[in-house]
Amino acid sequence: MLSHFRRMVAGIVIVCLGGTGLVLPAHAGIVSSEALVAGTQQERLAGLLERSDVRAQLQAHGVSPAQAQERVAALSDEEAARLAARLDELPAGGDLLGAAVLVFLVLLFTDVMGYTKIFPFTRSVR
Amino acid sequence: MGRCATPAAAGVFICAAALLAGCAAPQVSALVERPPAGVPAAAEIASVPFFAQEDYQCGPASLAAVLRHAGREATPESLVPQVYLPGRKGSLQAEMLAGARRHGLVAYELAPRLEALLREIAAGTPVLVLQNLGLDWVPRWHYAVAVGYDLEERSLLLRSGVTRRLAMSLDTFERTWARSGHWAMLALPPERLPETAAELSYLAAVAGLERVAPAAARRGYEAALARWPQSVTAELGLGNASYAMRDLAGAATAYRRATARHPESADAWNNLAQALIELGSRDEALAAARRAVALGGPRLPTYRETLEHILRQP
Repeated sequence: MLSHFRRMVAGIVIVCLGGTGLVLPAHAGIVSSEALVAGTQQERLAGLLERSDVRAQLQAHGVSPAQAQERVAALSDEEAARLAARLDELPAGGDLLGAAVLVFLVLLFTDVMGYTKIFPFTRSVR
Repeated sequence: MGRCATPAAAGVFICAAALLAGCAAPQVSALVERPPAGVPAAAEIASVPFFAQEDYQCGPASLAAVLRHAGREATPESLVPQVYLPGRKGSLQAEMLAGARRHGLVAYELAPRLEALLREIAAGTPVLVLQNLGLDWVPRWHYAVAVGYDLEERSLLLRSGVTRRLAMSLDTFERTWARSGHWAMLALPPERLPETAAELSYLAAVAGLERVAPAAARRGYEAALARWPQSVTAELGLGNASYAMRDLAGAATAYRRATARHPESADAWNNLAQALIELGSRDEALAAARRAVALGGPRLPTYRETLEHILRQP
């Protein structure tokens, strides 16, 4: 898996950054607000790996590198972890339909019954 | 997300039959039969702007509507680079929340209850919802903005797709909403708490904002403290937001107040110690760090690190 490779690279980068004395984003001795509300331990190093993982996945889905960087920066640790684990499976709201004729008929039926609302021309019987 | 993984026609009819077992949606029936106190029979926020969605871009269009209503400059076009994911032809929930934060707003995830949604609308706050307009096994994820309702007519009003004022049966809405796990969010300026705000959820939302806009988060914590004066998390958040802005004196003041009101909070003593050592008050910092270590708790390793760091200072 590519993601293992990415993790390894990210790990090496983090170690190198540490070695050069650059300050990592996690504040040294402060218990962060996100840790307080999550009731967890301090920021984990894994959080950084997850963020670089999400950034790479966003880019793989067509987001420019600069935008991916900004988008990842606005995620909470918990959100970054969730996206890193299953970005491909999470709902992406946008009107996607894996359509087939059979599916069309079923959805037409369920639309009329008021269980779904796919087609503008249907009117629920309820 | 649960999936009905029966591919053949037989499965389709089983699913349809299973769906037909129940008729009226559960939360709607309860609400209509016994409307809770404080929920008016009907409400509509007519001032919520509408942006007709382009292909697949209900995410940016819906987010633009709530951001504009909250007084922020935003258009679907300006939001596409922030929340639209070309490879998925849609927008992820986490990025919708993050997109609101990037405009200095608190992105609050609503409790998964229809009553909460109606209360927010009645209070004048549009609610951005995620629906699955299809079925679990043929999902058609869709964002829309709920702006009104009428309990007698059993209908919900939405800014949705290319329709400015879509009236949808509350029962149909509840079913399509349930398939997203009843997911809904608000985007509000930090000075304005959601009508249905719960302490921990709200503080989690402000903590998310702290990362991108600490000054706005500070106002959010102040509003939270006004509502929940006993919240040690809000006190510490206030300090953390100041610390993130490198306002160390402000941070120390907030932490000190937290230790005075909640002397049992090891986190408060730890954060006070860190702010003080950076301000150069070694003796006071040392005392605070020792207090944190003595109190202990799940984050004891962090407190020990803080203490050791202070002991290493000249």
